[in-house]
Amino acid sequence: MNKGKIVSIHSFRGGTGKSNTTANLAAQVAMAGKRVGVVDTDIQSPGIHVLFGLDENKMGKTMNDFLHGKATIREIGFSIGDHSSGGEGRAKLAGKNLWLFPSSIRGREISQILKEGIDFNLLNEGLQKTITEFDLDYLFIDTHPGLNEETLLSIATSDILIIILRPDNQDLQGTSVTVDIARSLDVPNLLLMVNKALPKYDFAELKKEIEDKFNAPVTGILPLSFDLADNASNDLFSLRFPDHDWSKALRGVAEAVLAVE
Amino acid sequence: MPGVFDRLNKEIKDKQQEGGITALDLADLQPALRKIMRLMLRELQMTYPRLCEAMDDTPEKDRLTRDELDDSLSMLTQQFWLIRIGEGEKAIYKVNLRRKEGSKLAAGIWSALDAKLKDKPKDG
Repeated sequence: MNKGKIVSIHSFRGGTGKSNTTANLAAQVAMAGKRVGVVDTDIQSPGIHVLFGLDENKMGKTMNDFLHGKATIREIGFSIGDHSSGGEGRAKLAGKNLWLFPSSIRGREISQILKEGIDFNLLNEGLQKTITEFDLDYLFIDTHPGLNEETLLSIATSDILIIILRPDNQDLQGTSVTVDIARSLDVPNLLLMVNKALPKYDFAELKKEIEDKFNAPVTGILPLSFDLADNASNDLFSLRFPDHDWSKALRGVAEAVLAVE
Repeated sequence: MPGVFDRLNKEIKDKQQEGGITALDLADLQPALRKIMRLMLRELQMTYPRLCEAMDDTPEKDRLTRDELDDSLSMLTQQFWLIRIGEGEKAIYKVNLRRKEGSKLAAGIWSALDAKLKDKPKDG
């Protein structure tokens, strides 16, 4: 099996901070000296490119082009280490081995995928080739919230699945479904991360409660933060504000990923 | 004139058009087969000797005998969940994932949307 690990980031519901977490985790792992890729498989509502400072004009070839046979994986990989300007946090990634494989944000290309469907043999080939062609240690997959077919494929091929949830009853019920599916697909490492926890909670108690409920480790409880909201996805928060409580907790999650054998 | 690789690739592509397995189908397989299918998804394709090697690495309680493995591979191939190129020891296996269907919205909606988006200067 190729040596790079696939890390899928999933949440059952939208608005959990999945893309923000994925981008910051990938950045932290790249800062630790690893070769890292980030694929946006949220083809119908892509967004993670914003955190890396890309917009429609800067974006070159995308996963949509790959799925339509118009580009190779090599052509899609956008080096963040070579284009890290435009944000105090992102600037710290200069020279690091981090590539983004974005999905298109052009309306026509999104509607074309919705209309024509997806060749999953090709999508899987693309995911595996990002690892081999870029010699990645970690490939982070930002998935669409909920359980659709591309999300299930990424879960089925993952070495590590991180499920993000908020301390909210709807999230807790939805997470149960994802945990059941991940277990039935034999995902080797299932990790949980709680985001947007109100500071008034007892985090240690919350961690224990969630670990007991799902019988899986909670790698971090990240506080609800107005500072993060104020950042408005303009920069990589954990690099820009490394001493913030949110950033410290996120680094704990990154360490848990790096600790997986 | 196409080479051997091109011909094999075309044969695989032609076979991939027919049916295929979904991630949820994977969950219903026997543990040893699921392990092999997951491995095959990561390696993209596996030779028969490599499959046998992977089976030997599975925990003893889940391990299939060679006959059971051969029967399972035949069954998965007949269902078009696996694609086999070649025979016997030289066979190469590849997982055949089912294509995600396109939206069932009426064609008129897509052409109207397409026409609207085509006019947007940024999307050109």
